[in-house]
Amino acid sequence: MPDYLAGIDIGSTMTKVVIMDNGIISSVMGPTGPEQRRLANKVMEEALRRVNLSFKEITYLVATGYGRINVPFADKQITEITCHAKGAAHFFAEARTIIDIGGQDSKAIKIQDGRPIDFVMNDKCAAGTGRYLEVTADALGIPIEKMGPTALGAKNPAQISNICTVFAEQEVVARLAEGVPLDDLVAGILESLASRISRMVNRLKVEKELVITGGGAKNVGLVTALSEKLGCTARVPPEPLLTGAVGAALLGKDMVGKALKQGLPLEKKERSLREISLY
Amino acid sequence: MAEEQKKEERKKRKTATEAASKIGGMVKAAIGGTVRAKEEGKKLAYSFIVCSYDEIIRAMDIVPVWTENYAGICGAKRDAQRFLERAESLGFSRSLCTYALCGLGFDQWREELGEMPPDAPWGGQARPDMMLSSGQILCDPRNKWYQAAQQFMPDVPIYDVGLPWPMYEDDIEVSEIQDYYIAYIVAELRGLVKFLEEQTGRNMDYDRLSDLVDLGEKTWNLIWETYELRRSVPTPMGTGDAMNTMVPMVFMLGTQEGYDFFAELNRELKEKIAKGEGVVPDEKYRLLWGGGLPSWFALTDFNYFNSKGAVFPVETTYRMIEPTYRLNIPDTDDPIERLAWRWLGYWTYWFDKAKKRPGSEPDVERLIQYIEDYQIDGVVMHEAFSCRTWHLGLIWQLNQLKKIYKPIPVLVLGAGDKKSLEHRELPSLILESDIVDISSYSEVDTRARIDAFIETLESTKKSKADQQ
Repeated sequence: MPDYLAGIDIGSTMTKVVIMDNGIISSVMGPTGPEQRRLANKVMEEALRRVNLSFKEITYLVATGYGRINVPFADKQITEITCHAKGAAHFFAEARTIIDIGGQDSKAIKIQDGRPIDFVMNDKCAAGTGRYLEVTADALGIPIEKMGPTALGAKNPAQISNICTVFAEQEVVARLAEGVPLDDLVAGILESLASRISRMVNRLKVEKELVITGGGAKNVGLVTALSEKLGCTARVPPEPLLTGAVGAALLGKDMVGKALKQGLPLEKKERSLREISLY
Repeated sequence: MAEEQKKEERKKRKTATEAASKIGGMVKAAIGGTVRAKEEGKKLAYSFIVCSYDEIIRAMDIVPVWTENYAGICGAKRDAQRFLERAESLGFSRSLCTYALCGLGFDQWREELGEMPPDAPWGGQARPDMMLSSGQILCDPRNKWYQAAQQFMPDVPIYDVGLPWPMYEDDIEVSEIQDYYIAYIVAELRGLVKFLEEQTGRNMDYDRLSDLVDLGEKTWNLIWETYELRRSVPTPMGTGDAMNTMVPMVFMLGTQEGYDFFAELNRELKEKIAKGEGVVPDEKYRLLWGGGLPSWFALTDFNYFNSKGAVFPVETTYRMIEPTYRLNIPDTDDPIERLAWRWLGYWTYWFDKAKKRPGSEPDVERLIQYIEDYQIDGVVMHEAFSCRTWHLGLIWQLNQLKKIYKPIPVLVLGAGDKKSLEHRELPSLILESDIVDISSYSEVDTRARIDAFIETLESTKKSKADQQ
């Protein structure tokens, strides 16, 4: 029987599950939200159902993401930094710098041979995160997934001067009322976000290959703006939201392999596929 | 809310040493002592730590009121917000030093009421009879704080001692400039003595001052010897405790109580070393606290590091001493001159080392020395948003370190010009918050960073082992 390895990445906005054997055999993404975080087990159940596996058949399960603590059905918790490094290196063996743009934070990771050697995080301000996109997309009345393609048509990106998400929302509405074309305005928003992220990333001194992961990587306009600002073309995994979960599953695989090789017992927990307790 | 605050107070940080666990009581007694001294009619002076003139104040029987200490206590007790908010409502920017803001908010409130603000932490900060600034190059609150406080206490005079901190230049020899600096510092300190004599109506007793300077120097040597004991593996004391033991170092210099504290700590550390007792039972990672004042309200983060097997055998913050043999203090009977030489020697000691490494700086050399002496695996720094003094150089220092401790094997020239391949990678972590303002802090986010850093340390350790 093959080993089935699972990774679950409980982010602030989305919960992602990946099940792997020699490659990804199942993946599911579901919203996290304030209430759904409790129900991360449902996302796991769905991933298992799709490949007709029972929970017991999972050899090892690693949880990551901000919600990784207290996951009762994980064998081990590993931070997003290590999991994204592993996941990005899986998709791009030459990856040296990773930018993960999540719903509530963003981070940059410097890696070597697939392991993190340095990192910086922005967890203080929404202005450098996916939340900025959500708020401004809402203010403009366009779906967030349309922002990237819309920005690509811009001729004269607007200047968004406010560094606060709340004030930027007001500014965007005002600029729209002034008659600034939508594509220029969206391009300006993405420029502004890219500028904030690149300031953080530059602390690490970017080296090629640059890989962008997380929800922000699905925005082609943001990826383009970041590539320009950082002076190198960014690579994006096939499903950037899954990078952390893939890394988690692969780290689990490494642990299983190492235990087997060294003849040592595998570090495992008594696990059960039930709701996460928030208390 | 009040109930929650009480619960917070009960959540004490776990100390590794008995000595450190006594500090809270000592500080409380000292603050209570200033309030009593005021009632007894003694002269009180607002003062800054690391001011160089501790012994002068003591010799004049003036009771120092350490204003940075009181702000830190408000922070540690998670009761600074009301004073910060008061300062903000007076028009002070929230971006200023939060020690100063907390103190200004407190002072204005006390002056308005004519008594201590309600439930003032540990009885409150007593009204001073004078305020002694001690300006340094970067820390502008050391000049400006008391000037701002004078708005609420116009009758309280200020004496501003200008204390130079020579800028490092790799083409300038300290010996070429030191006489100028010494003459300047001596003049500043003599000016202070004159001011204090005017304020107290008494003359300085120079024999007594000499005795206290002797005691101060003896204390510096004892502290250095005691802290060097922390080189042991496992280390018997970490930075979390050092953030307590800084109290007798910088608030009690020139007192027998301060000296006795370190004699006791020295004895305790030797006992722990003899028994092989460390801060944690299984020491996995030895870290250097490479700069930045701590978040006084979150000292339990040091316990969190400990829970992961990480210890801090050394720190640059509040290690404000060097053994006196390093300071080139000349043989003189003048205690004022000795204080001046001690000050200048402390700030210039690392200059010569920096000259030997092109592109380096004294602060970086100090970090390198500690990394080597204490067998350090990683560096942690804290960027407190409101402390420009510390904040400015940290990133630069880390970047300099990264040039030396690279994540790739490097050829190192050893004894007899023998080359060897070494794996010197040194992960680093920057924590971001503040010294007093708790609104800048998230325990969840901070600990997520610490978790990621610990994983980085672990993977670096494995990588080094694989490459051996």
